[in-house]
Amino acid sequence: MSQTKSLNVDYNYTVVRLFAVTTVLWGIVGMVVGVLLAAQLYWPALNFDTAWLTYSRLRPLHTNAVIFAFGTSALFATSYYVVQRTCQVRLFAEKLAMFTFIGWQVVIIAAAITLPLGISQSKEYAELEWPIDILITLVWVSYAIVFFGTLVKRNTSHIYVANWFYGGFIITVAALHIVNSMVIPVSLFKSYSVYAGAVDAMVQWWYGHNAVGFLLTAGFLGMMYYFVPKQAGRPVYSYRLSVVHFWALIALYIWAGSHHLHYTALPDWTQSVGMVMSVILFVPSWGGMINGIMTLSGAWHKLKTDPILRFLIVSLSFYGMSTFEGPMMAIKSVNALSHYTDWTIGHVHSGALGWVAMISIGAMYHLIPAVFNQGRMYSIKLINTHFWLHTIGVVLYIVAMWISGIMQGMMWRAVNTDGTLTYSFVQSLEASYPFYLMRFIGGCFVVTGMLIMAYNVVKTIRAKDGALEPVAEAA
Amino acid sequence: MDMATLHSIFTVLVFVGFIGLVVWLFVLKRKPDFDEQANLPFADDQKPKQQQKQESDHE
Repeated sequence: MSQTKSLNVDYNYTVVRLFAVTTVLWGIVGMVVGVLLAAQLYWPALNFDTAWLTYSRLRPLHTNAVIFAFGTSALFATSYYVVQRTCQVRLFAEKLAMFTFIGWQVVIIAAAITLPLGISQSKEYAELEWPIDILITLVWVSYAIVFFGTLVKRNTSHIYVANWFYGGFIITVAALHIVNSMVIPVSLFKSYSVYAGAVDAMVQWWYGHNAVGFLLTAGFLGMMYYFVPKQAGRPVYSYRLSVVHFWALIALYIWAGSHHLHYTALPDWTQSVGMVMSVILFVPSWGGMINGIMTLSGAWHKLKTDPILRFLIVSLSFYGMSTFEGPMMAIKSVNALSHYTDWTIGHVHSGALGWVAMISIGAMYHLIPAVFNQGRMYSIKLINTHFWLHTIGVVLYIVAMWISGIMQGMMWRAVNTDGTLTYSFVQSLEASYPFYLMRFIGGCFVVTGMLIMAYNVVKTIRAKDGALEPVAEAA
Repeated sequence: MDMATLHSIFTVLVFVGFIGLVVWLFVLKRKPDFDEQANLPFADDQKPKQQQKQESDHE
């Protein structure tokens, strides 16, 4: 079905198009840096003894690029698209929306310059220095005004559940960013946190885990609640469940952050609260996953022919897997084994590459033709190729990290009868070595898939208006 | 009143609120209301809404 003109509403697709294209661009950049880092861990000489090419400086560049450049661009694009389509109204404050695009690109470029230079607040996922933090705040407040302004002037009586998730994500990320970025600047590129010691650590991981919970989860669940029903051609399995899902997730996620600080100087009870809340989080997470997957009940055959739907549904399976693994790893006794090992890296990537990237890629394959006046992507076959490359890459990556991580944990805790450690650290590193190659290969698969996507996107955009006919729907 | 009491009251309120939400959703509110909301992603397609809904019922 052609989705360009719907009812008589003239939607603003300009800003959606811009964010959609940058999603693909920054996805490739962020993942290429990731593959370079994976290569450096296998071939350390690849930093060429150059300060700005070292692992320590490129690692925050990688995480910032994939989370804030790739993932957040996808959230901007889809939220602006979904809020207009489900409210049947043109975007509110369009100039402000354009400011969010330009402002966000400036943030990304500033990050790409300052992080390799070693300018960093040293807080994970909040490395950017205070002048950039202020720009982020301005962009984010503008984003909130555009999004909620559009909700206010809507032409429908209800606010669709996807918008609840997007709205929750926007408000919470604003609060998290502002609280965790409270610093005392001493120069243009140097500042110190206003919090001290264990409190600083707690604020950081309250921020850090909710960046996962609200940016990487709630935001992308908003995407899921629109694009899965839309691509499947049927409404969500249970709307009631989606409302319970929203409130339970919002109420619980905010308490789980302290599981990042097990066995540290943080008070014991605070660690236990984080553990218990993390375990309970399993329930709404799986409720949401089941709601998404069951949307296909009675239409499973569509998975055979539609690679976009396959991206979306497999992303939900990875979401289910990660949200089972996460609560398990938050249990203190499991964490004693998993913490500081590659298992954590594997967990993060099953969430980031499996859930976040796959739902975003699926959403982009649905959205890009719609906003560029086409009935479908240039090549459905290439979407299928991308799907398999991505899936194989992610599985290689996370299996490598599971084996390596659990092995590291076991080796680090092994003690001889006289109480001395059985293995030195270097011995555990040597044991992990082959798995770092496996991870690098997995990463190459993922990047290759992204390059194929870029080709497909360029071909779709450059095709003549309406030249690509929609796929005939199988009955 | 000390902080511990305040926290306890807050916890109870959140719990009651959640139970209230579930009761409202599954007991008080009727299913057709939700069917309409669940179809919002399809409401702005070129096809009239009725037709869209019938199609999804027939599948």
